[in-house]
Amino acid sequence: MLRRLSVVVLLLFACHPSARRHDAPAQRVVSLLPSFTEILFAIGAGDRIVGRTQWCDYPLAALEIPSVGDGLPPNIEAVMARRPDLVVLYNAGPNVTAAKQLERAGIQTVLIDLNRLEDLGPAARTLGRLTGRQEQAESLAIILDSLAGRPPPPSTTSLAFIVWDNPPIVIGHGSYLDQLAAQAGARNVFGDIAGRSAQVSLETIVARDPQWIAVLTDSAAPPAFARRREWRAVRAVREGHFLLLPGSLFGRPGPRSGDAIAQLRARLAR
Amino acid sequence: MRWTLLALVAVLALLLSVMLGPAAVPFGDLLRSDIVWNLRAPRALLAFLVGGSLGVAGAGLQALVRNPLADPFLLGLSGGAGLGAVLAIALHLPGPWALPIAAFLGALAALGLVYRLGLIGGASLDPRILLLGGVAIGAFAAAITTAIVSLADAAELRNAFLWLWGGLSGASWDSVLIVALYAPIPLAVLFAASRPLDLLALGEESAGYLGADVDVVKRRVYLAASLLTAAAVAVSGVIGFVGLVVPHIARLTWGHHHRSLLPAAFLGGGALLAFADTLARTVVAPRELPVGVVTALIGVPVFAFLLKRWTIA
Repeated sequence: MLRRLSVVVLLLFACHPSARRHDAPAQRVVSLLPSFTEILFAIGAGDRIVGRTQWCDYPLAALEIPSVGDGLPPNIEAVMARRPDLVVLYNAGPNVTAAKQLERAGIQTVLIDLNRLEDLGPAARTLGRLTGRQEQAESLAIILDSLAGRPPPPSTTSLAFIVWDNPPIVIGHGSYLDQLAAQAGARNVFGDIAGRSAQVSLETIVARDPQWIAVLTDSAAPPAFARRREWRAVRAVREGHFLLLPGSLFGRPGPRSGDAIAQLRARLAR
Repeated sequence: MRWTLLALVAVLALLLSVMLGPAAVPFGDLLRSDIVWNLRAPRALLAFLVGGSLGVAGAGLQALVRNPLADPFLLGLSGGAGLGAVLAIALHLPGPWALPIAAFLGALAALGLVYRLGLIGGASLDPRILLLGGVAIGAFAAAITTAIVSLADAAELRNAFLWLWGGLSGASWDSVLIVALYAPIPLAVLFAASRPLDLLALGEESAGYLGADVDVVKRRVYLAASLLTAAAVAVSGVIGFVGLVVPHIARLTWGHHHRSLLPAAFLGGGALLAFADTLARTVVAPRELPVGVVTALIGVPVFAFLLKRWTIA
């Protein structure tokens, strides 16, 4: 009887190769988004990460983990070579296909949304559950939830995020950066654009006259477009009012979002 | 009468593109507004110059290769320019003009290669080899471009494709001045070749009997049209359909004599691009459409209409 039961159980496992692993905490995780890597480290599961993307540069310990490439879309073979029992992916088009391929190879995958501040708490809880760090994840999630739920302060200044200069691409209301600016007390002059980003005319930027031009860059020098004649029509460009924000801290929602908001607020007050 | 009408359309297109825009400028302030003087006026003029140049380059190339489908960008220039632009971004070339200069050099490199291929059979440029060589060089450059974009680290490289779609966001009095000084030379070469281009339509042999120095004309027209296109791509990216459709519309109204066809293609191309850019800036304001999308949306129906007329006639 017992033997027959165990055969049935074995068969069940054979049919659902990932069913067993869903319950036990993952031991070998490949994290395919810098934000996931940061959250995993923040909840004390950093030592479970066996693979990261080339963009995962925080905390410093993350750099010692082997990189599996740029992660968009993930290189399936490079991911599998790390022999993971869990792969966490950002929920977007090409990653959905990649997740299916990994599942077929018997590796558990989880697609997680992480586009805005309010996605942070749920993402932390999911990652905590998967790695058996529920308690740490819950205390982080509570902090992150309160960050997302905080009503933004009245804006004292305005800015435009310039993603690209020719054609000009700006950040709209749907982006995390719009939330970051609002929480730091700056109104995104393109907050009326629903999408994450959009191409606009230079004259719209001139007309909306932001006090600051924000650019995600690791460089300390103003962007090259600042010296182009047509961009001099923008007052903030003429006056050199640039916010040069390093992408690692400002470009992604994560456990350091609170720091990013505080730093942005300090820079705007200067 | 036809000329008056065309001139009116051109002036109207220029006026509209100065008067209309996503930013509200009161009518009385039009002449004093910074937005109008520093952004709209140079952008309208650049659109006109680029559109006109593409129209003339298209008309010249269609006569040269005796193929109605010839387009200034068919001969590999867009691929070369794109490769140059992507290299400039990938190598972090400094300076506000790095990208247009690199695109121009890329287009020149493609031009040189295609020209060399065209001369493979001897001193006479072979139109068929020009077309095939142009497509091949363009595809080759595009493949290298895509390889760089997919291998390079910089996420901003993906934006290079946006630039390639064409647009007049980079317009300033600087770029207007550069095009206004540069374009008249190849334009003059093409206008001067009007008569031999007419003869070329009769076939190369007949043109030779009628006194045209066919080899020289073909080389001049190819180089002038390509140099014109290379400058256009450097300041505004690849703007499709102007160079393909405008010569056909001009030919339907002005006939096949290049002495009137080329000026008509210049005014028509300028008016079309200025008008298309006004639409691109205003219809989805505060957002903006890539102008290449608008020229294609206008150009394709007109082209389909013309094709239908031809097949019936």
